[in-house]
Amino acid sequence: MSNAKERKHAKKMRNQPTNVTLFSGFAANRGVKHHNGGGKPAQTQKEESRSGTLQQLETKVTRHSLLDPDASEQSSSKVMFRKKGGWKAGPEGTSQEIPKYITASTFAQARAAEISAMLRAVTQKSSNSMVFQTLPRHMRRRAMSHNVKRLPRRLREIAQKEAEKAVHQKKKHSKNKCHKARRCHKNQVLEFNRRQKKNMWLETHIWHAKRFHMVKKWGYCLGERPTVKSHRACYRAMTNGCLLQDLSYYCCLELKGKEEEILKALSQMCSIDTGLTFAAVHCLSGKRQGSLMLYRANRYPREMLGPVTFIWKSERNPGDASESRQLWIWLHPTLKQDVLEEIKAVCQCVEPNKSTVCTPDPLLTPPQEKSQMELPDEKIGKKRKWKDDGENAKPVKKIIGDGTRDPHQPCSWVSPATCIVISDLTMEMNRYRLIGPLSHSILTEALKAASVHTEGEDTEKTPHCWWIETCKNPDNISLHHRQEAIFELLGGITSPAEIPAGTILGLTVGDPRINLPQKRSKALPDPEKCQDNEKVRQLLLEGVPVECTHSFIWNQAICKSVTENKISEQDLNRMRSELLVPGSQLVLGPQESKIPILLIHQPGKVTGEDRRGWGSGWDVLLPKGWGMAFWIPFIYRGARVGGLKEGLVHSQYKRSPNIPGDFPDCPAGIQFAKEQAKNLLEKYRRRPPAKRPNYVKLGTLAPFCCPWVQLTQDWESRVQAQEESSVSSSPNGGESDARRDEVPCAAIPEETVKLSVNEPREPEEAMDTRCQGQAGTERVGDQDAAESSAAATGGLLCVVRERKLLKQLSAWCGPSSGGSRAARPAPGRDQQDLTREACLSILGHFPRALVWVSLSLLRKGSPEPHTMICVPAKEDLLRLCQGQLYCGPQESKHSDPFKSKLLKQKEKKKMEKRQRRGSAAPEGLAGEDSTAGHEALTLGLWSGPLPAVTSHCSRVLLGFVTQGDFSMAVGCGEALGFVSLTGLLDMLSRQPADERGLVLLRPPASLQYRFARIAIEV
Amino acid sequence: MAENREHRGAVEAELDPVEYTLRKRLPHRLPRRPNDIYVNMKTDFKAQLARCQKLLDGGARGQNACTELYIHGLGLAINRAINIALQLQAGSFGSLQVAANTSTVELVDELEPETDAREPLIRTRNNSAIHIRVFRVTPK
Repeated sequence: MSNAKERKHAKKMRNQPTNVTLFSGFAANRGVKHHNGGGKPAQTQKEESRSGTLQQLETKVTRHSLLDPDASEQSSSKVMFRKKGGWKAGPEGTSQEIPKYITASTFAQARAAEISAMLRAVTQKSSNSMVFQTLPRHMRRRAMSHNVKRLPRRLREIAQKEAEKAVHQKKKHSKNKCHKARRCHKNQVLEFNRRQKKNMWLETHIWHAKRFHMVKKWGYCLGERPTVKSHRACYRAMTNGCLLQDLSYYCCLELKGKEEEILKALSQMCSIDTGLTFAAVHCLSGKRQGSLMLYRANRYPREMLGPVTFIWKSERNPGDASESRQLWIWLHPTLKQDVLEEIKAVCQCVEPNKSTVCTPDPLLTPPQEKSQMELPDEKIGKKRKWKDDGENAKPVKKIIGDGTRDPHQPCSWVSPATCIVISDLTMEMNRYRLIGPLSHSILTEALKAASVHTEGEDTEKTPHCWWIETCKNPDNISLHHRQEAIFELLGGITSPAEIPAGTILGLTVGDPRINLPQKRSKALPDPEKCQDNEKVRQLLLEGVPVECTHSFIWNQAICKSVTENKISEQDLNRMRSELLVPGSQLVLGPQESKIPILLIHQPGKVTGEDRRGWGSGWDVLLPKGWGMAFWIPFIYRGARVGGLKEGLVHSQYKRSPNIPGDFPDCPAGIQFAKEQAKNLLEKYRRRPPAKRPNYVKLGTLAPFCCPWVQLTQDWESRVQAQEESSVSSSPNGGESDARRDEVPCAAIPEETVKLSVNEPREPEEAMDTRCQGQAGTERVGDQDAAESSAAATGGLLCVVRERKLLKQLSAWCGPSSGGSRAARPAPGRDQQDLTREACLSILGHFPRALVWVSLSLLRKGSPEPHTMICVPAKEDLLRLCQGQLYCGPQESKHSDPFKSKLLKQKEKKKMEKRQRRGSAAPEGLAGEDSTAGHEALTLGLWSGPLPAVTSHCSRVLLGFVTQGDFSMAVGCGEALGFVSLTGLLDMLSRQPADERGLVLLRPPASLQYRFARIAIEV
Repeated sequence: MAENREHRGAVEAELDPVEYTLRKRLPHRLPRRPNDIYVNMKTDFKAQLARCQKLLDGGARGQNACTELYIHGLGLAINRAINIALQLQAGSFGSLQVAANTSTVELVDELEPETDAREPLIRTRNNSAIHIRVFRVTPK
């Protein structure tokens, strides 16, 4: 019998239940039963079927004649049984003796059991394909799934059943209402509410969903990028026009309490080394917005929590220490959990604030109460208003807009010791960001300061009593006028980059929907306003006065009333249609809503030499519910809308780290890296092996993640090894001549450093070799626990954010020798030379640190994320000097040790499969562990522990790029990333002064290195 | 103004790189008309010249051609602005003429404090600028 035939047979029999394969040894079975009386038929049959082969024709004939009497004495279903497999008897069946007699009852019993098993097997479909899919190709017909009659008659019944089932299933999922009913406003709102239960929707969600690719991220539904092709258009909008972004998903934490108490608590979480803190004079007065990095209490420089921005509410009467201050901390949603916990811990705020009596914060009212308050007024006509609050008809679940939050979960905490009240104001406000020079003209055209309420107007009907109250005080009116005047001045300033960074301006504006233009147009700066006058000059020099930063948006009660008393779009349109002169200006008088807003200036690119002020703009804070009312007017004035991707481009061109991807030392960053690695790996696995890069051959150890911990560790041991060799043997050649004279004095501190870090290294390495790449960072915690005492000085990954050190590094990075660049700040008195001692003292403070660097390519090439930053060899620099066209060295191809392993494994698996098919017995161990091993291996990826990452390729690895692309702002490839501090110092000390700061970049899927210049911008 | 001068004096006294970081702000400028050319030192000279020439020449049949052009140069770029204007004139066979104006531009530098206790300071300085009007004269 041929092998192929056997295999075919085995394949045919594969899906048969074990007790159906009895036919090959039917006669033998009978023979056996003759002895044991039909005790265990199934088992014996199985045995025989394994060795069963096809029989000759003549045996079949004889067997048929022999079987016939049996069949007649059994049930009618026996006919089918024989038809199917009766002729497939093994040769040994015929070879054995035919029994002389059988007991009918036992025989029939045994057969009956088998038949019932067979029937079960036939009626139950094992595969999950449809009936018509099981048909051979030549029997298939067009539209078989649609029309049952196209199937062979024997299958019709099953197909009918299947079709019914499918229809039934579909019906269950489909909309149970007709299109018209579904589009009915009430139902639509209900549906929208249901859909935003899992992921929060911003107020502009529907607008975005029609025009953007939406992603579910961080518990929100966010627009990722526009569906139109607009990468360049968005860049131009940022540079010349105005780009609008909805940042309402940013979270706001409010701290209320005494100033010194708040400062005392929060000072543990930040360090003056990284820049200004919460106590900076101009921020504390409420004049400017501040930004800083938060750390776990007293853990600086380790255990970063994330970057935040904050604004203090300006104090009414400065100097009053007893006055309660208000502080808003704005942060990215991924950081919120950690930061909130930590702030609660440092402020000792443990008690959830339930009582509404002791605090005036309206947020603290329990959700049920609020929903009941909303119940009476009729809101059927209001379109998506208070989407956070949901519909009045339903039990309102969401107040803050956080669908995942338990309604009874507190969003405010009070501390009995310090009297600080922390509230979570997430989704209580909208935050829109306008980027670009035209944002001034858009703001001034779209927003008009609210008209002051005069005594003569009747006050009965208007719901905006807070404004009437305010207008009774002449001080308030004068303040309002001053704010208005300053706001109007903005129209005369052509770029937000001219304004002091972080300026805050409070304002109360009228309803922006009233003066909506008929058509979308582009707001252009008015040259008349731009006349050089003293007021503009004063604004530019001194910024907005402190008083003018006051806004009613700080007052929760007013915000709530503003939100509730919004005139609905429908009513507004009705009023418009009732105008006597169609298309004329709608005048609402005292009915018009007055909305308190806060404008916060966002500085653009402040660091570095070129493109200063690029990407500066304004953030607009609005009370919730008013999102769309401001969104459309901005767009009608010519703003282009960007999504998350445009935000990324903005931060990349600004050369600022993106949250949370560029914070590898904070928990959110680690999480982000893990998710990114998972997604990239999935994407990679989806491609066939021949159509994807083999990263092992390319020498890329970690194409989807950046093994920061291993990188820093490798560098540490590398530098130590160099030191040892240079101490023992005489320093060789010119390479280390810079260090030669330093060696004697450096030897002693080096020893101590070595000792302190050597001990915990061994267990770590053992651990680290187990974890592959992306797991590296997450293991930081375990490692930290393991090396208990040594961790005090080093061991944990940290990113250098000390401004003094960064300035120092920045000075070292440039090609400094000539001093030709006038713009370079003159070295101050603390500016040291790049010496061994200086490096050692830095490394002593930051043993395993990363530095944020920006890289710009010298010639060709555009880097991508996870590009490797490498140290150029001597000959590379030499050839760069010589040849104008020299692009960079090439990495030689690596061998793939996993490929043969993989092939072997595949072969083995194949063999096993074949064997198993031949012998249907289940095999336990061998099969299982082969499949487990197979899952670990993916062709083209390094599996198992990573070897030394730095020295894997021909050029020593220094770090990784986290953001990189062709930069339209500069016109060449630009990248941002992290390098190991140890490696950077080592590289800089070896490079000659005029070539300092040159590195090589190599994308993960390429062998070509490209030259780039490294720069650290402070 | 007097107050500003006082400020400046104070700044000179206590300017210290340890305590302050210098942040230069963009110069205040007027909204740009289509025929305003701001010359910088980063863009290639030829490209800037070509841009001016293109504005003067207009489209394929001379539509949308500007009859006059303003070339602005600030500080280091003054030389280049003059150069561009003269090149345009030289290449026009006498159909272009130039008229230069000079002015002083006030620049604002912000001194960002490094310590919490200090206010940010503002320093103003002046820089010279040139505004060259390049216009077409009908050759007689």
